[in-house]
Amino acid sequence: MSAEALPKLQTEGALPLSQQPSAKWFMISSVVFFVITGLVGVVLSLKFIWPEFMGTAPWLTFGRMRPLHVNGILFGWLLAADIGLIFYVVPRLCGNRLWSEKLGIATLILFNLTVLAAVYTTLAGNTQGLEYAELPFLLDIGVTLAWVMFGVNVFMTIATRKHQKIYVSLWYIMGGILWTAFVYITGNFATMFTSGIGQANLNWFYVHNAVGLIFTPLGIGLAYYFIPVVSNRPLYSHKLSMIGFWSIAFIYVWTGAHHMIHGPISQWLQTISILFSLMLIIPVWTVIVNFYGTVWGHWDRVKQNPILKYLMAGTTFYLLTCFQGPMHSLRSVNAIVSKTDWIVGHAHMAVLGAFSFFAIAGTYWALPKMLDKPLHSKTLANRSFWLMLWGGLIYFVSLWVGGFMQGLQWHDVGIPWVDTVIFMEPFWVARILGGVLIFAGIIVFLYNVVRTLGRPDEDAESDTTAATPAVS
Amino acid sequence: MLKPLFKTLDRNAFALFCGALLFFLIGGVLTTVLPGMTEDSWSEPVAGLTELNEQQMRGREIYKREGCWYCHTQQVRTLVADTKRFGWRGVDAPISTPGEYVHDRPHFLGTRRIGPDLARVGGKYDKSWHRTHFRNPRDLVPGSIMPPYPWLLDENGGQEFEDLTAYIQTLGRAVDWRPDDDYEE
Repeated sequence: MSAEALPKLQTEGALPLSQQPSAKWFMISSVVFFVITGLVGVVLSLKFIWPEFMGTAPWLTFGRMRPLHVNGILFGWLLAADIGLIFYVVPRLCGNRLWSEKLGIATLILFNLTVLAAVYTTLAGNTQGLEYAELPFLLDIGVTLAWVMFGVNVFMTIATRKHQKIYVSLWYIMGGILWTAFVYITGNFATMFTSGIGQANLNWFYVHNAVGLIFTPLGIGLAYYFIPVVSNRPLYSHKLSMIGFWSIAFIYVWTGAHHMIHGPISQWLQTISILFSLMLIIPVWTVIVNFYGTVWGHWDRVKQNPILKYLMAGTTFYLLTCFQGPMHSLRSVNAIVSKTDWIVGHAHMAVLGAFSFFAIAGTYWALPKMLDKPLHSKTLANRSFWLMLWGGLIYFVSLWVGGFMQGLQWHDVGIPWVDTVIFMEPFWVARILGGVLIFAGIIVFLYNVVRTLGRPDEDAESDTTAATPAVS
Repeated sequence: MLKPLFKTLDRNAFALFCGALLFFLIGGVLTTVLPGMTEDSWSEPVAGLTELNEQQMRGREIYKREGCWYCHTQQVRTLVADTKRFGWRGVDAPISTPGEYVHDRPHFLGTRRIGPDLARVGGKYDKSWHRTHFRNPRDLVPGSIMPPYPWLLDENGGQEFEDLTAYIQTLGRAVDWRPDDDYEE
């Protein structure tokens, strides 16, 4: 296997790294939303045990807070974090600077105003009534516009690059930006012109590809940068990354209908979605082999470095979640797990365990680099990792076990419905424990980020002391 | 043979852009645009399907606003368990067909069953049952984790409750599936 050289790290003759406000503020805003909407998740988990908990006002009921948690985590946290990290990574791989910091800041303001407005509309029950597409029309336009501005900035940076060779991270980032535009427009605008099963088909196309063609390529692209850089190892195989990229570009988009297996949709669409879901194993395993191969034989570095821990745990969760996915699409398995809490465990492993772990690792790495200061505390970074890892495992496993058993119970029609709900109680209690641990990890992450930001700049401080007498 | 092609893609951002778009569009068009044209059943209403009246439409908007569809699916799947479990008084629920959803905008097929499926719930329970159930679901179903919705009953003289119940009673009724015609009002 040929070893790809490390991505080039130095920006050539540019301004100091700290002058990258777009990347920095996207990262900071994303962490704030991570905390807020993570807390909403914890509140939701409590409602499964105490249905009246915080439910005396309409805007605090489950039906209003669930879309806030889901959209807040997906857009307010993860997408914003990915945008910030892409602003950080792309100029480094191109050997230049971000095309326009002004445009980047405008994107930041528009995106965050849209997300803030979405918090209000969601709690007010102003919704389009479609999964992941709850945001009302006006806010959809805000997201789309912000995405176009972001895309232009990244593509122009790449177009004016100094290194001719395009590193694999840039393929994924470019593909991700392009696909996101189509997927988002289909899910939020094209659906408005359809109804019934036709609309459901577009809706599932969007929901599935929101994960598969938005968060997957952006997250994988970032991991392709951070894993070699943080482990200080060359990428294992360029050829594998090529197979991985082009196969995901072709395969992922076909699988939307696997959300409606056994449902009122044409059988040929269901069968196609199953076939392509199984084929997804190809792009996933090429990526996995490449990531593991890069650190293979150097696991001591993972042991010593919390950032690498996040990256390699994220890789492992990506493998697991993308093995579950194809298995769920099989008709026999789907008949048991579909519509149960198993799927909720699966979704959390993808969004938290894989893609949020990549984004957290990137933030822990990039933010101190941009500020030109060390991270506040490596110990706390380790603590946040173990809290999120154990919290996550408790969360995923309890819902898999409970969900699978509930799915089996649904097939025994002698068991009344409500008994299958009562059966879930201990698993939901375990889920609260998992959720609280994850949230504690997020708080530690926030604290570490805030302390890093507030850390006095050593050089600047000595400068100020020296300069003080002259000024006064 | 492929080698020069991949070499180009390694260096030419525009070629990469076009390739990524092309690959995406093949699957995208064949699974969204094509079925939109070929699947006539998606737009042909079943014989008994009527459009909702004004009150039922208002009820449907409440169903959407309160996020009922996050916990209740509206689809009887092609599984024996679905037809038995969501049947009523010994009669199996008919499997849902695309023609029943033609007027649904947005669709409420759902992904998660925290509560039972509602595709055939219309006419199973009478209005007084729903009134008690919305005020506190646990009065009728001990162990249920559905939230109470007292404001639907208390504000504006319970107008929202009336509307929502009117909508719920239409669910699954496009198919006349009760041989004894024992639908509740």
